[in-house]
Amino acid sequence: MSLIVCRQEPVKHPFYIERLGLHIASSQELCYVIYNNPLLALDGFVDERLIRFIREELDLTFLAGKLETWRQSEEEQDEMPVIILQECYYYTSREIAKFRQKIAAYRKMSRAEFMKETADYYFTLRQYGTAIHYYNRILEDWRIKSLTDEFTARIWNNIGAAYAGIFWFEKAMTAYDMSYNFQKNLDTLKRIYQLTLLNPELKLKERYMALLTAERKAAWEKELSDIKEKAADNEAVRKVEELFSRDPIRRKAESGALLAEWKREYRKML
Amino acid sequence: MDGLVIGMDLCNTYTHMSCRDPEKTWVIPTVVCKNKNRDEWYVDEEAYAHTLVGDGVMEDKLLTQVQKDGTATINDIRYEGLYLLKMFLEKALELPKKETGKEEIESLVIAIGSLDVKLMDSLMYCADYLKIDRSRVHIISHTESFLYYVMSQKREVWSNQVGMFDLSEESFRYYEMKIQRGMRQMQVVADSENLEEGFHLDVLETPAGAKLGDRILCSCADRLLQKRLFSSIVLTGKGFENTDWAPEFMRQICSRRRVFVENSLFSRGALMKAVDSLQERTSFAFTCICEGRLRSTVSVKVLNRDKEGQLVLAAAGDNWYEAKSTTQFIVAGSPEVEFSIVPLDPRKKKLVKISLDDFPKRPDRTTRISLSLGFTDEKTMIAVIRDLGFGELFPPTDKVIKQEVSL
Repeated sequence: MSLIVCRQEPVKHPFYIERLGLHIASSQELCYVIYNNPLLALDGFVDERLIRFIREELDLTFLAGKLETWRQSEEEQDEMPVIILQECYYYTSREIAKFRQKIAAYRKMSRAEFMKETADYYFTLRQYGTAIHYYNRILEDWRIKSLTDEFTARIWNNIGAAYAGIFWFEKAMTAYDMSYNFQKNLDTLKRIYQLTLLNPELKLKERYMALLTAERKAAWEKELSDIKEKAADNEAVRKVEELFSRDPIRRKAESGALLAEWKREYRKML
Repeated sequence: MDGLVIGMDLCNTYTHMSCRDPEKTWVIPTVVCKNKNRDEWYVDEEAYAHTLVGDGVMEDKLLTQVQKDGTATINDIRYEGLYLLKMFLEKALELPKKETGKEEIESLVIAIGSLDVKLMDSLMYCADYLKIDRSRVHIISHTESFLYYVMSQKREVWSNQVGMFDLSEESFRYYEMKIQRGMRQMQVVADSENLEEGFHLDVLETPAGAKLGDRILCSCADRLLQKRLFSSIVLTGKGFENTDWAPEFMRQICSRRRVFVENSLFSRGALMKAVDSLQERTSFAFTCICEGRLRSTVSVKVLNRDKEGQLVLAAAGDNWYEAKSTTQFIVAGSPEVEFSIVPLDPRKKKLVKISLDDFPKRPDRTTRISLSLGFTDEKTMIAVIRDLGFGELFPPTDKVIKQEVSL
């Protein structure tokens, strides 16, 4: 056990990371974000705005100068997040070496794989709109023509999941349909069926009817109902229930704040 | 800046104030008098004059009143002990101000007999009231004042041990200091003890009483000094304003030793420190170990550029009242703060761990803490640890862990 001394950082205006929807106000937080989000760090994260924050708010003028010079040079731009980690002394040399290896591994990937990793990363951040954008780029890129059926099916499957995440069920259905075209996967079929349960206006295509045995239907219906039941027991749901048990004045104020928070979250997803 | 530099010995009975440029010492009783008809306060001769005339009410034992939350009711108005002390200090400091024509106090060191946090805090409140910046005010013990006084003398005065008898109306104390020269910085260790043989100074007014006093002192000197080597012996306090009443004692201590009599020793020692605190580099390049100073070094293990090291939060020899600090850390590894406490004898080093299990569970290095250290005396440290979270990633809670650590 040991402690890391925090340097005095006179941050008056925290740095907003739109992709993560959060503000950072110290060099340690900056390092933590970089280290745990290498794909974000590789996606043009170290830009002029960040360098200005490092110089003016974190008062790390030497680091800002180094990054500025590096940015203007012909050197490998992937090195910039590593420079930040090295200069802030939040991670050990061993951890930084591991981070560098991770970046190298990403760069060794094929263009399609790397783009999928990036899209998956945004998917995990629940930024479904950005994830869909990257998945579509893989499918649209004329340079990537040698995709296997299995890989293409996975991409369409993920697009379907992303659309479902933003409650755009028609688009999700189309994407799962495309996925099933490339790979006849029973899981995909299950999702297609469950989408019709979530949105009864959606109709199943004829070709799936024969595959939907009564037994399968029952099992998938039960699975969905179990999930719904579990979701009803969620902390967030409990909070809403609690909210409605309060007096009207507090309820109004708190529900307003909650709705604003949900709106913000949803906008981030798009 | 060319303000007043003052060393003050503040006791319940008398207050000594020593001033630099011009070098002068004022000795006044620690009493304050309030005019019955006006909001006017007096000290020194004026206080007695107004009390004798009958238009003033005098209050004494001001330090005890502050320590015991005492109050005084004058003309139906109740005054707290702290207010009386404020008035006394304001009026007392007017004496050197008038004499020198200087208004500003550049440095003020107050020596008190016993370092009591309540009294020390009250003195700092008084400094605020008197518009003296806290950074210019230091409170030290009589022992430390003795040490500064001796160390400002010629080397031969302190090259070995130095003993001192302080005979006042309040107590009879013995002080002793010695130099420890080591590989590192020189250490000066001083200590004091209250002598049970203390007596009221009125006793000395009769020949029989004086003879008895002389015998008491001889017996104390015999017991305390033995046949040890002393560079010098110092006598201070009202009881030694005149030493004629103790011929045997004087003969005994003067044998093969230098003996000095300095009545305002504590205020003069405080003045030495006040002067020194204005210097860019101290003239007293030694570690001072005595009442009011820490006897242990407190540090925490820190990680810096891949290397583990110790960050000293308070060092042996630091003034414990002033050794307050607040530092922010990130907790790495197990959720705890481990203090390393190294006393003067490093073999007695101990580790004290404070668990942070009450704070929320978070990934490694995502808990920022604010660690505040303070001391209630030289043996007790208070550590207050606050959870500061880790920005918006892991928001802070209002959890605070407070623990008393015995040094």
